[in-house]
Amino acid sequence: MRLTIEVWRQDNPEVEGHFETHLVEGAQEEMSLLELIDYLNDQLVSEGREPIAYDSDCREGICGTCGITVNDDAHGPVKNTPSCRQHLRSFKDGAVLRLEPFRSGAFPVIRDLVVDRSGMDRVLQAGGYISVDAGTAADADSMQIGHGRAEKALDFAACIGCGACISACPNGAANLFAGSLLNHLSTLPQGSTERSKRARAVIAELDESFGPCSVYGECAKVCPAGIPLSAIAAVNRERARALIRTGKDD
Amino acid sequence: MASLVSTKSSPRASTGRRKRPLISNVLAKYIMAVTGIIFGLFVFVHMYGNLKVYTGPEHFNAYALFLRTLFEPLFPYEGFLWVFRIVLLTCLIGHVGCAFLISSRAKKARGAHKRRGLRGFKSFTARTMLVTGIVLLLFIIFHILDLTAGVAVAPEGFQHGSEAGSFAYQNLIASFQRPLASLVYIVAMVILFLHLAHGLWAAVYDFGVTVSEKVRSWIILIAGVFALIVMLGNISIPIAVLTGIIS
Amino acid sequence: MTDIKITYGDDISGNVPEGDPSTAWERRRDDYKLVSPLNRRKFKVIVVGTGLAGAGCAAALGELGYQVSNYTFHDSSRRAHSVAAQGGINAARARKVDNDSIHRFVKDTVKGGDFRGREADAFRLAEESVRVIDHMNGIGAPFAREYGGELTTRSFGGVQVSRTYYTRGQTGQQLQVSAHRALQRQVAAGTVTLHTYSEMLDLIVKDGRAVGIVSRNLRTGEITAETAHAVVLATGGYGNVFHKSTLAKNSNCTAAWRAHRRGAYFASPAYIQFHPTALPISNKFQSKTTLMSESLRNDGRIWVPKKAGDDRPANEVPEDERDYYLERKYPAFANLTPRDIASRAAREQIESGHGVGPLKNSVYLDFRDAKARLGVKVLDERYGNLFEMYQDATGEDPHEVPMRIAPGAHFAMGGLWSDYDQMTSIPGLFVGGEAGWGYHGANRLGANSLLSACVDGWFTLPYSVPNYLADHLGTAPLDVQDAAVQETLREVRDRVQRLVNIKGKTPTDHFHARLGEILYEGCGVSRNEAKLTRAIEQIRELREEFYLDLFVPGTGETYNQELERAGRVEDYLYLAELMCVDALDRKESAGAHFREEYQTEEGEAERNDDEWCFVSAWEEGANGEHIRHAEPLNFEIIKLQTRNYK
Repeated sequence: MRLTIEVWRQDNPEVEGHFETHLVEGAQEEMSLLELIDYLNDQLVSEGREPIAYDSDCREGICGTCGITVNDDAHGPVKNTPSCRQHLRSFKDGAVLRLEPFRSGAFPVIRDLVVDRSGMDRVLQAGGYISVDAGTAADADSMQIGHGRAEKALDFAACIGCGACISACPNGAANLFAGSLLNHLSTLPQGSTERSKRARAVIAELDESFGPCSVYGECAKVCPAGIPLSAIAAVNRERARALIRTGKDD
Repeated sequence: MASLVSTKSSPRASTGRRKRPLISNVLAKYIMAVTGIIFGLFVFVHMYGNLKVYTGPEHFNAYALFLRTLFEPLFPYEGFLWVFRIVLLTCLIGHVGCAFLISSRAKKARGAHKRRGLRGFKSFTARTMLVTGIVLLLFIIFHILDLTAGVAVAPEGFQHGSEAGSFAYQNLIASFQRPLASLVYIVAMVILFLHLAHGLWAAVYDFGVTVSEKVRSWIILIAGVFALIVMLGNISIPIAVLTGIIS
Repeated sequence: MTDIKITYGDDISGNVPEGDPSTAWERRRDDYKLVSPLNRRKFKVIVVGTGLAGAGCAAALGELGYQVSNYTFHDSSRRAHSVAAQGGINAARARKVDNDSIHRFVKDTVKGGDFRGREADAFRLAEESVRVIDHMNGIGAPFAREYGGELTTRSFGGVQVSRTYYTRGQTGQQLQVSAHRALQRQVAAGTVTLHTYSEMLDLIVKDGRAVGIVSRNLRTGEITAETAHAVVLATGGYGNVFHKSTLAKNSNCTAAWRAHRRGAYFASPAYIQFHPTALPISNKFQSKTTLMSESLRNDGRIWVPKKAGDDRPANEVPEDERDYYLERKYPAFANLTPRDIASRAAREQIESGHGVGPLKNSVYLDFRDAKARLGVKVLDERYGNLFEMYQDATGEDPHEVPMRIAPGAHFAMGGLWSDYDQMTSIPGLFVGGEAGWGYHGANRLGANSLLSACVDGWFTLPYSVPNYLADHLGTAPLDVQDAAVQETLREVRDRVQRLVNIKGKTPTDHFHARLGEILYEGCGVSRNEAKLTRAIEQIRELREEFYLDLFVPGTGETYNQELERAGRVEDYLYLAELMCVDALDRKESAGAHFREEYQTEEGEAERNDDEWCFVSAWEEGANGEHIRHAEPLNFEIIKLQTRNYK
C-alpha cells in the first residue's frame, strides 16, 4: 500500500506543533496502525531523523496505553477498537491518514502523539477507590453478589483508562470514564459504605479537570471497552443521590 | 520511501485545572434539564391549544379568553397568565444562563483543538444546540411582539383582547396570511424540533436515568416523536392559513 | 572455541525455616521483628514497579504507615503488564467438594514446576491465596459469581480441581486496576509518592546494602537519585529479551539486571515458558506474538500435514494426511498437554519441515470438528471474542480456516534470586512478582502468576520488609551527596551518554530483533550444547556490533523513546548471554528447560535429581566470568517424582 501520513510533530509541551507529511510505500494491510508508525519510524531513524513519539504497550487492547487520533477519530476508523487493534485493512490504497495526539484541554502534548493523561488518575485519587486495607477484607464468599450484578459491575469495570472518551468529547468531558468508575463501585456491596462520599469527591474533581457533559454520545462510540452511554447518566444519578444523602458517606 | 513533503503550523493545546465552580456542571445540567422539560411540556400544551384553531374562531377565541380568566377570582384577570409568564421567564433565564455557562466551560476544557469530524443526525442536533437555542430565543421575542404584544412585527389591524373577548383567531390569521411571517414560524418550528429532540433525550441522562441500550433506543424514539408531533402540529397551522383551509 | 568462563561459588541458603514446610510461613512471621506504628513514618521504602506485586507492596506499606516512593516508567500505575493476564488467579480456598486442599495446591505447583522451586514457598503461596481473593474482592475486583451469589471457579491449566477465580477473560486487568485504585488511595493519603515516567536505571549500594536507586525521568531526561532504607523491585519478567513475545512492548529487565550487576544473584535465567498458543509471526512488521487464550485448546485440534513442506491450503489436506501429533503422542491429555510439552511438540513439527503458514513457522489449531459437533453458536459463545481478535490480527476467519499458532516466549520463571523473605543477595533489596524467581520452579502453572504477584505484594513483603527495617531504626536514608550516590549517578549519566554518542547507523530495534532470532534458535523451546554455544558467540558478536553501530537519534535531555529502548536492549544483550550460560550449565531437562542431550528414549524430558536438584543463582564475576551458586532444594512433603502426561 501507498499511504500519505500527515502526522503531528511537537517537540515538547512548551513549543508549537505542526503537521509533517510523509509518503509511505510498502505498507501492508495486515499492519496495525502502530506497526505502520513503527515502519515509518524505522525509516526515519535509518535516515538519521528523530522518530515519531507515540505511546503503546501491550498491543492487545487491554492496557490502555495507546491512543492516537486518526482522521479525527479517536483510536481510528473502526469503532470501539483501540489503536493497537486497528489495521490498515480499513484504509484504501493511496489514502491520507492524519495522525494526531488525543486532543483535549486536559491532555497536554508531551511529545508528538504522546499526551499527559494524569488528570484521569486525579479522579481516582479524589475518591475513586474502596477504603479497605490489606488483610482486613471480609471473606469474599460471605458477601453474596448475584451473577447478574457481578456481570453488570464488570461491564463498567472493563474501562481500560485510555482517555479516548475524553478526546472524542467536543466538550472535553470525562463523564464516561468517571461514570464507569462510579457505576462499577456502586453496583458492588463492597463499595457501598462510601458511595456518596466518593460521588461528591469524584464529581467535584471532574469539574476541576474536565469539561461538562452535553450528551453528544461520542465517547461511547470510541470506547474500546464498550462502556455503554448509561455510564454518563450514572454521574448525575450518583451526584443527585449524594445530595439527598447530605451528611452521610454511604 | 518516507520523505518530507510539507509542513503547516497549528495552535498548541492549552491546559490546566480550574477552580471548583460555584454552580457545578451537574447542577447546571439539572437546571437545564428541569427547565427544558418545563418548556417541552409548555410547547406541547401550547401546540395542543393552537390546534383549536381548526375548530373555528369562537372556540379558539374562547380558549384564549379562558387562559386569561383562569382561576378567577382567586387570581385577577390575566393574573394566572402573568404568574405563568414569570415562571417561564425564570426558567428561560436559568436555561439560557446555564447553556452559556456550560458551553464556555466546554470550550475551555476542550482546549485549542476543536473536535472535528462529527457525523450523524444525533451529533448534528447535539452540536447545534447553542445555535438552535439562540434562534429560538429570537423567535420567542418575535412571537411575543407579533401575537401577544401586537407591536412592531405584528400584522396590520392587530386587535388587543379584553375581558369582554379575544381576537386571537383573527390576529393569527392576519399574521399567517403574510407568507414571510409564516415562513418564520415554519423555520422556527423545524429548529424547535431539532432542539427538543436532543434536549429531551439529553435530559434523561441529566436526570441520571441509567438504562440499558434497548431502553435507550426507545427513549430516543419517544423524544423524537414528541418533538415531531410538536413541530408538525404547529407547522400545519400557517400552511392551512396560506392554502386557505382556514381563514 | 568460545571462551565461556563458569566458576562455581559457595552453596547459598534460602533461609527457609527449619522443619515442616507447611507451617514455615506461620513460624517465620512469628519470628519477624516489628516496627511500632509511630516509628513507621520514619522509614522510607522505594518500590519500583506498579504491577500487582509493586502496587500491592507500595499500597500495603503505605497503609501500614511507611513512607513509600513508588516508581513506574508508565504514565500511570494502571498500565503495568499484570493487566494483560487473561485466564484467572488460583487460590487454595477449597470451598468445593472436589477435594482440593492446600496440600494439593502445593503438589500441583511443585510438580508442575518440575521440582525446581522451594516447597516452603509454594506452601506460602497456597496459604496466602485465601486472603488474596478476599482482599482483591474487597478492593473492588468484580469476580465472576454463581447465581447463588458465591464466587465461581473454573478448572485451568491442566489441574483436576476447580480453583481458578476469574473475571471473564480479563482477570489480570481487574486485579491490576483494583491494585491501582488502592495505590491511588495511598497517593491521596500522602503515604505513597508516585513517580510516573520514571525508569530505574541503577541500584545504589553502600557497604553491601541497597540504599537507593537512580532513575531517569523519561519526559525530561533528568537523571536523579533517591535514597531509602530499603528497595523493592517488582519490575516484571524478561520475556521480551526474545523481541517477539507475548509481553507488552515496554516490559524490560533493566531494573533487575542493573541490580544483578550491583551484586544481586540472578536465579535460573534459562527457565522461560513458551506459550503454545501465541500468534505466529506472519510478516516482518509484526510487533509481537499476541497470546491467544489457552482455553482454545479445549475444543480445537492441533495438527500439521503429514508430508513435510506440504503447500496445500489447510482445508484441502485430506483427513488421512493430517497428523494430530499431540493426540498421537499423548493420548491421555492429547490437545490439553501442559504448556511446555505442547510448545516442544509444536517446535519439533516446525523444525522437521511440517510447519504451516507463509513462513512455515506455525501449526494448525482447527475448529472444524468442534464446529460440526457444537455448532457455530456454541463455538462463538465460548470463543467469539478470541476468534474476533484472531481475525482482527490476521484477516482470517477461524470458523472457516484453521487458526495458526506457534510457541511464543511468555513467562520468565527465572529472575532475581531471593531468600524465603523475598530478600535478594544484597541486604535491603527485596524482589516481588515475576522479577523474582520464586514459587514456579522450572515451569509455571496457568493462573499462578497473578497469584504469586499478589502474595508477594500484599501478603509477604509487608511482613518481611519491616523485619529488615526494624534493625535500622534511628538511621536516616543515605545523604544524596554521599560518594556512593554521586558515583552511581555519574555512571548512569555516562552510560546514557555513551549510547547517544555511538552515532552508528543501525536503529535499536534491529539489534533487538536479531537478538530475538538468536535466542529463539539457540535458547528456545529445546536446547543443546552446540546451539547454546553458537548462540553465545552470536550474542557476543552482536554486542560488539551494538557498541559500534547503534544509532540513537536525539539527545538524552528530552523525551526520547529510542534512547529508552537502547538502554533496555543493551541490558538484554548481557542477560541473553547469561540465559544461554545457565542453559548450557544445567545438564538436565527440567520443566521449560529442555536439553536435547537429556531425554528419555521416548523423547521426554529427563530430570537429574541426583546432580541438579538445586537452584542456580548467578553472580557476575570479573572479566565476563560467570559464578554459579547453588541453593539445594529439599522436598519433604511432596516427594520427587517424574512428570508423566502420556
